[in-house]
Amino acid sequence: MKKYLFIIKTEIMSNLQYIFNVIFGYVGYFILLFILFNLWKYLYSDPNELINGYSMSQMMWYVVITEILWMALGGKKLNTKICNDVKSGNITYNINKPYSYIGYSLSTHLGDILVKGVVYFLLGMLTGLIFLGKFPSLNIIQVIVVIITMFLATIISILIIMALSLVAFFIEDATPFYWVYSKLILILGTIFPIEYFPVIFQKILNFSPIYVVSYGPAKLFVDFSWKSAVVIIIAQIIYIFIAYIICQIIYKKGVKRINVNGG
Amino acid sequence: MAIIEVKKLSKNFKVKLKEKGFKGSIKSIFKPKHKIVKAVKNISFNVEKGEIVAFIGPNGAGKSTTIKMLTSILFPDKGSIKVLGLNPMQDRKKLAYEIGTVFGQKEQLWTHLTPYDNFKFFGAIYDIPDAAVERKIEELKVLFELDDFINTPVRNLSLGQRIRCEIVASLIHNPKILFLDEPTIGLDPVVKENIRSLIKRMNKEYKTTIFLTSHDVGDIEKLCKRVIIINNGQIVLDDSMENLKYHYLNKKIVEAKMKEKINLDDEDGITILKDKGYNLKIEVDTTKRSVADAIKLLNPDNIIDINISNIPLEDIISNIYKNKD
Amino acid sequence: MLMAVRNQIKVIFLSIKYALMRELLNKTTFLSNVIFMVLNNSSMIIQWLILFSIRDNFGDYGLKQVILLIGLSSSIYGFAHFFFEKSFKLSETINTGKLDAYIVQPKNILLSTITSDIQVSALGDLLFGLIVYLFYGFSFPSFILYYIFTMTGGLILVCISVIFHSLSFWFNNADLGADTINNMMINVSTYPDSIFKGAVKWLLFTIIPVGIANYIPVKIITSFNPYLFIINISVCLLFIVITFIIFYKGLRRYSSSNLMSARI
Repeated sequence: MKKYLFIIKTEIMSNLQYIFNVIFGYVGYFILLFILFNLWKYLYSDPNELINGYSMSQMMWYVVITEILWMALGGKKLNTKICNDVKSGNITYNINKPYSYIGYSLSTHLGDILVKGVVYFLLGMLTGLIFLGKFPSLNIIQVIVVIITMFLATIISILIIMALSLVAFFIEDATPFYWVYSKLILILGTIFPIEYFPVIFQKILNFSPIYVVSYGPAKLFVDFSWKSAVVIIIAQIIYIFIAYIICQIIYKKGVKRINVNGG
Repeated sequence: MAIIEVKKLSKNFKVKLKEKGFKGSIKSIFKPKHKIVKAVKNISFNVEKGEIVAFIGPNGAGKSTTIKMLTSILFPDKGSIKVLGLNPMQDRKKLAYEIGTVFGQKEQLWTHLTPYDNFKFFGAIYDIPDAAVERKIEELKVLFELDDFINTPVRNLSLGQRIRCEIVASLIHNPKILFLDEPTIGLDPVVKENIRSLIKRMNKEYKTTIFLTSHDVGDIEKLCKRVIIINNGQIVLDDSMENLKYHYLNKKIVEAKMKEKINLDDEDGITILKDKGYNLKIEVDTTKRSVADAIKLLNPDNIIDINISNIPLEDIISNIYKNKD
Repeated sequence: MLMAVRNQIKVIFLSIKYALMRELLNKTTFLSNVIFMVLNNSSMIIQWLILFSIRDNFGDYGLKQVILLIGLSSSIYGFAHFFFEKSFKLSETINTGKLDAYIVQPKNILLSTITSDIQVSALGDLLFGLIVYLFYGFSFPSFILYYIFTMTGGLILVCISVIFHSLSFWFNNADLGADTINNMMINVSTYPDSIFKGAVKWLLFTIIPVGIANYIPVKIITSFNPYLFIINISVCLLFIVITFIIFYKGLRRYSSSNLMSARI
């Protein structure tokens, strides 16, 4: 565990240097948020109106959280890196190292995005506050719980993207899988809460990764209840477990394949 | 008439400095520090038609900066350049039709295509009619011995083969001057030799003026009649190869691994640099004694392994400075 | 002069042809890139179907107009990224000294540089644009207009990118700014202008010309307006002129290597 913490720390240090990237990244985040704020403002003719159970302010805070989760994730970078590792054969150098590739990649990427995540979170809160005037009614402990679910959500996202990228072991170009996943998250998990979809669909979505990587934390933030917090955290832990095992399986199968081919 | 005329040419670069560590990065955001690097300082020289001129100097001496100003890539800060009577900055396109360039460290070829397809592409860039391109490719193919791989994708070629193709690509439009920036960098000695003889042959065949930069003394020794040595952005020597050879390239380093120890202490024209039992390193003054003679002294039967090399360029340059003082 | 233009165009197409040949070496990857991009873009349609289930119009835009906007925006993006992909990576070309190869050629430096690579998935965007247009309803005049606007919009997109990436000649982090601006153009262009108000709307029709490149064409295709048409064309030309001026100004400062980022 200690070595992973060290990897995270080193990554954070080296990334502090790229403050410009974070700043410009935030501008991108702000623009997207701004567009969606305008969209919801246009849709809600009366701010007190409820659409699918959400008030305008709830919808906007929902988007603030899901966009932080999505934009700070750096999924494209992770996808490109792992696909390149596989294609270049770098991944096999890691076989002899005293840590697992999955653990190593997870900690490097977490370290890579942690600073960005914190900055986005703070600036996102500020942006929401400026646009909406007030926070949803949450006490400090509840905020901490939301932050924990956001952290767990990020771990799941990273593991899922890793699994999708490791498919590069078996096909030439695995990036389209990532595109489709990212678009699914964007449409089904970022812009709209699950309640916006037809009822049958909602049941499926409740068991899909969308529930744990974006809907869960955002829903908690705009409409907190201890019961749903517990459900979400348990679901997240199960997901981390499953996603990790899937990554390991794909990785082991892939490495074996490379060895067989003498790659 | 001079084909290249350079007068009082200067070029500076502004380099952003960055201090180490996190603090340094923060500082450089708010208070960037710059340093002016004078890459080329007030140099002048001429090149005549049909000459092969070598522009040599250690890394960072200003060779590439100069060649890039001659080929329109960089804007000079001061001074004037005339290449074929044209100003590289104002008449870039016109000049481009008349010159060829090969930059050893920057590839111009499409790697997934065959050399043949690449040459056709360059034909189109220089607006040469198809039939004329075909004829030219055929001709250069023979001269540069490309027959074996002209239809193999460039990415599957060896470095030496690639450089040959790069040179051919830059000759498709019959340039009057060929600029070669470090053409032999990274090549092994045999391939280097091959490239040099091809360049020489081409100069004879087409009377192309050749201007090349290198930090390899071997390049110039084999190729050039004239040498310009540049160091720290200034020309330290502009002389014929013969003179250079006589004054500065008259020494060879011989390193030999011997079966038996040998005593060379009192031999004329030989300086012992290192003598560690069976490993011997000597400097041979070729004005006094030929290398062959020196090897005879060592007794060929007695030699297990031998390596003969030139004096490093840095030593020659410091020698030049010493002689000037 | 005419000869020079013809030769330039010949080189551009040859360069695109060669890049395409390279991508076609792996047909599965090529096809999956194109097809997945079509699917990817289709998700925007789903998004708007949901939004239109809440409200049946967005200002002047009905569902049909919004879908036309999405199609045109994809088409514009596809055109820009297929033919001029390198204009979106120009900073890298400048900072790594790769401009050298184009400077020594007797062709236009900017054009040769930005057409030296293609983005395969952009073909998916073009295809998606075509499908959406056919779904919107084919008529000969609107088809011509649709593709004129694909070109003018694409060129505006390319110009904006070249202008901001050209700042690399002066500043170190210009690529980040350029990427941000490019992303903003894309993001904004898939939402109808009716949701924006006041200063923002004004910006979209001036400094950030999404309005001129994307919104005006949708209005023209819906009902033809010669004045708006002239605005679209002339703004495009204006951007081209500005782009060349800025690029060539910057070129004088070109340093041909990564010497600039030397560390101590």
